[in-house]
Amino acid sequence: MKYSYIAPKKKSAFTQEIQLLLSFFSITLLMLLVTYAFLLYKNYTFVEDKKELSTKKIELEKSFLVMETEIAHIEKQKMLSETVYTKNTVLKDSIANLFDLVPLRITLSQAQLLKNGLILYGITPNKDIYNFMLQAPLRSIFHKTYSSFYPAKNGWYRFVSTNYIDEEEIAIDE
Amino acid sequence: MSSISRQHIYLVVVSMFLLIFVLVFSFLVLIPQGKEYRIKRVELKKLTKEFREYSNFHDETEDTLQDLRSKNRRIITAFDTKFNPERFERANKGYFSDLKVSSLSEPTLENGFGLYEVNTTSQISSPKSFYDFLDAINKSAYIIAVNFPIDFKRDGEIIKSSFTMKVYCNKSDINATASESKKK
Repeated sequence: MKYSYIAPKKKSAFTQEIQLLLSFFSITLLMLLVTYAFLLYKNYTFVEDKKELSTKKIELEKSFLVMETEIAHIEKQKMLSETVYTKNTVLKDSIANLFDLVPLRITLSQAQLLKNGLILYGITPNKDIYNFMLQAPLRSIFHKTYSSFYPAKNGWYRFVSTNYIDEEEIAIDE
Repeated sequence: MSSISRQHIYLVVVSMFLLIFVLVFSFLVLIPQGKEYRIKRVELKKLTKEFREYSNFHDETEDTLQDLRSKNRRIITAFDTKFNPERFERANKGYFSDLKVSSLSEPTLENGFGLYEVNTTSQISSPKSFYDFLDAINKSAYIIAVNFPIDFKRDGEIIKSSFTMKVYCNKSDINATASESKKK
């Protein structure tokens, strides 16, 4: 190493210690700032995610309400259709039972099925056959039964049988 | 006694500044932000869990709806189909010797559904045809209830019958029909 009084060696302010210190400071500050930036970014994304979730949830709620309404509507349709189909089947069985009820010796000319009753027009060889074979079963089904007879030309009797069920019974059935 | 060099004093001062800065920054900025981060993370986790549960419930409801739709497709279509008397006559002609369906009545509301009443007159050869017809309307393209009064009258070898039918449809179809008739 050369020493000179004429050309002095320049001394830098950034000595090795200072450089070490500055790098340490820079790293520390950088870490702090990076952590701060990370927290800021995360908090921002949390807020955004929360907003997105809320929007999605509102959409889901709307869609859910629509689906619920549709489910209720379909259930109602199903229930009504089942009621209608059952009524039709019951009606079919009732008509079949009615015609089965009429004995072979009695001939019906007209049958009126009402909501609360039944009116039968027909012809019977005699009143007893009508009373025992048709009126008796009708009496067991209906609450009120009225019969009237008109003599026919061949000696038989034309009859009109009017039968009613109490309104209360119909209301209970419905 | 050795005196402390100026450089060392600078070092100590700058280090003190850094320490103070780090402490102040941490306590005033980083720690509150960190707390907020933790709270928001927990909150988001909770919300995500709730959302996932709700989403699963939504999916289950959707499956139920799809299942209901597929199982009741015929009924749904039947409620959506507007009653067409000519089409009905054509479809059920086979059960009757003669079938006439009157035009639709003004629609009314029953149990939240539209309801048309249609009068029908027909001729059948035997009651069995009528039973077959009743079986058939339960599988038809409409929701039809055969209603009282039903009248059967013997006319030689045939039976003349007349009855009322209740045709059900969706309420919206009624509104559409009403607006159509208003336009006319």
